[in-house]
Amino acid sequence: MNKEAPLSISERDFILNALREDVRLDGRAADQLRPLNVTFGEEYGHVKVQLGRTSLIVRISAEVTKPHDDRPFDGLFTIAMELTAMGSPAWDNGRQGDLETYVTNVLDRVVRHSNALDTESLCIVKGVSCWSIRADVHITDYDGNLIDAACIGIMAGLQHFRRQDAVVKDGQVIVYGLDERVPVALNITHKPLSITFHTFDEGKKVILDATRKEEQASEADVVIGLNNAGDVCFMSKFSGSGVDAMVFVDKTSVALEKVKEINAIIDKALQADLSKRAKTGMLEESRAENDRQPELEV
Amino acid sequence: MVGPTASLSPLVRADGSASYQCPSTGSNILGSVNAPVELPGRRDALKPEDATVEVFVKPGTAPASVGERYVEGIIRGVVGRLILGRERGYQRRGVVITLAIVGGENVSRGDSYLTLLPALLHTALLALLSASVPLSMTFSATVLSVDAAGKITREPSAEDAAAAKSLHVLAFSSKGHLLLNESQGAFDFDTWERVRERASAICHGTSVGEDGDVAMVESADGQPLEGTIRETVEDQVHRDYSWKIDAA
Repeated sequence: MNKEAPLSISERDFILNALREDVRLDGRAADQLRPLNVTFGEEYGHVKVQLGRTSLIVRISAEVTKPHDDRPFDGLFTIAMELTAMGSPAWDNGRQGDLETYVTNVLDRVVRHSNALDTESLCIVKGVSCWSIRADVHITDYDGNLIDAACIGIMAGLQHFRRQDAVVKDGQVIVYGLDERVPVALNITHKPLSITFHTFDEGKKVILDATRKEEQASEADVVIGLNNAGDVCFMSKFSGSGVDAMVFVDKTSVALEKVKEINAIIDKALQADLSKRAKTGMLEESRAENDRQPELEV
Repeated sequence: MVGPTASLSPLVRADGSASYQCPSTGSNILGSVNAPVELPGRRDALKPEDATVEVFVKPGTAPASVGERYVEGIIRGVVGRLILGRERGYQRRGVVITLAIVGGENVSRGDSYLTLLPALLHTALLALLSASVPLSMTFSATVLSVDAAGKITREPSAEDAAAAKSLHVLAFSSKGHLLLNESQGAFDFDTWERVRERASAICHGTSVGEDGDVAMVESADGQPLEGTIRETVEDQVHRDYSWKIDAA
């Protein structure tokens, strides 16, 4: 199956005619996001993203593995997203649909190929052992704009995650537990996010952050991935009808504004979570500015 | 001991859903049920007079593999017997149960899934209740470990389970019948009998001694699980019908 029930003709016409009068079903402006809420769970790298009625959970995990033979200095980073019947009754368990392939590809290009996570910093011993970071995306409710929501979740998760400290001593790799040594934050080079636009009427009407119904009524989508500095790291016009070139030019500046807005929301949530952890954890005691007890040699 | 915490219908799109947190293992499980749904392309697997039950377990931080397939089989066996698949509208349709481990410790590759099984079973049951799927009865399940000295531990942690001599998962129906018995490791009949008694006490709050005496053990094990499940559903129904109750 793997396909949502199509919109009825009257429903589609209603959405289109409303858009021609600059009205969206939920009363948003064309360039307005749905309310975004980012929360963190108990463990490191557990993020819950709620974007309107789309919600998902991202879990980041790390384990020690052997690096690829052709890239002995690089650690591994994988993004795993599997659409299950939990997110939408239209998705089949254990079967890959078109949407899954498409979204996974875009996430790979925006987050992984733009080198948001510095994989070289994950190397422990050249060609022998490295960290493998895995981001699992669990879609709990699907109401459009999966790409942006998942991207927000993964980037927030990578910034929140702390991996165990690993030390090489006499050729032996020692991995210290989370309570033995201060866990290490991942090395994030920049914070790219994707912004998805949907176009109507041969590219004349363009809206941001479409809901599921708006997505179904749309003709094409444009995905722009960029970071806070305005570096465009991904741009795609995957399928559907043609879009005017000026849309890309105009909407890139809109996207930059939105990326800054979303990154500010993520930062605020991260700070709030960090200060909450500081009260319960050993954060103050383990700061780098504090005096250290010299390690006793046996 | 603190009982588990659960909430019904946290999700919007699924027909029924439940979120379940087991305090002892710390695992947080999200379950969803879609029923009755069409399952096209699986005509040969569909039964003409019965509903087809599909269970999918999604681990939190690893790809699904053999361990998940194994536990899916057990859950399908238990739940499939409870669902009244011959009810109107359920024949030739599917009941799709999806369980995702969204928080807490994961079962690492090759480790036993038995420690997590009761939590998965409870989540599936609550999600089914939330989706209003017709059931013949409800159940409650628990996991017990027996160490080398013969000491029984309720809902052991991962380390306890690894050190245990044997692990047992037992599920009892709301009428007190034994529904599921999954064991692992070496044990004798006497041990199993003690485990069964303890499990029955955890699930139903009473244990019958050898002399036929009924001992109330609620103080040792807290509220019986059956009651916890019942209360969760009661709370939800109370909230759902608050408009009606207030009007009366």
